[in-house]
Amino acid sequence: MTKVLIIIPAFNEAGNVGAAVDQVRRSSVPCDILVVDDGSTDTTAQEARAHKAVVLSLPFNLGIGGAVQTGFKYAREHGYDIAVQIDGDGQHDASYLARLIEPIERQQADLVIGSRFLAPSDGFKSTFTRRVGIRFFVSLINMLTATKITDPTSGFRAYSRKMIASFAMYYPHDFPEPEAVVVAKRANAVILEIPVVMRARQGGVSSIGSIKSLYYMLKVTVAILLHMIRRRERHENDH
Amino acid sequence: MTIRLLAILISSVIFLYVLDLVRRRKLTFKYALAWLFVSAAAVISAIFHKLLFAVAAWLGFELPSNFIFFSLMCVFVVLSLLLTVFLCQQNERNNCMAQKISILESSIADLKKKISP
Repeated sequence: MTKVLIIIPAFNEAGNVGAAVDQVRRSSVPCDILVVDDGSTDTTAQEARAHKAVVLSLPFNLGIGGAVQTGFKYAREHGYDIAVQIDGDGQHDASYLARLIEPIERQQADLVIGSRFLAPSDGFKSTFTRRVGIRFFVSLINMLTATKITDPTSGFRAYSRKMIASFAMYYPHDFPEPEAVVVAKRANAVILEIPVVMRARQGGVSSIGSIKSLYYMLKVTVAILLHMIRRRERHENDH
Repeated sequence: MTIRLLAILISSVIFLYVLDLVRRRKLTFKYALAWLFVSAAAVISAIFHKLLFAVAAWLGFELPSNFIFFSLMCVFVVLSLLLTVFLCQQNERNNCMAQKISILESSIADLKKKISP
């Protein structure tokens, strides 16, 4: 029996996180649900607990990378075979969970990404500027790591035991989604994508404005390039 | 002549201040070493200024003052780089501890539930 852990990073998601937990539970996948409360100042933790999720409360805000990594550490400690990262703001549809973890159960992949751009569909595909940015990262990452991914910024992902162990030790904190693809690829992980439909963000604003997006792209590019010169083994974070 | 006295005075004060910080355990050996070295070099070059001038001339600086500014700049660049490394290390450790605390907290809560259901 494969043990599956659903990791929901949540920062001030009161009003959303309960619904996200319920949605995961309604899916056909038997799993444990972990909400990582990333130093929220609202009632995110209480709400998640009321919906019978395991809650880890970080004493201060670490950002999404630090929150998800906390989930990997928990998964490693409790011997989970598969971890799934899903947003707490209702962007991701939990009905794809079964399809997301299937390639890992069959040992065909170490990292499965739910991609918005793989199949023609009419779901939410982000704003125009963000799509341009995503296309740029796609070419950059695919060129550097010889992958063929289409949605490196998607935070709807499933991880194998090998990935859990590796990311529990080192997980990028600055731009975790695109960086993690590069880190995983450099650790010789098999990366697979499955088509998913995403909803537009329910409440809350995207953290990236259109004026700042050029600077953002530059930063992510540098971050990704720096990963290419980084040593593959890194254990500093493994305390 | 007064400027030399001033230089000797200030560099000595800095050197003694570093020693005092170590004495009062405000500075650990690891970080005191670099400061002791730099301030000792300052004291020595203030006292034996001829030596400083000779080194400056040998390196090709037209003015000894330029050599002093250049060396100071180098010291500060290296120092701030080292401090940034230290800061990153502390930050990472801090993050790790936050993560560990959250995991430990949840296992404590689990244990409590097991003891008194």
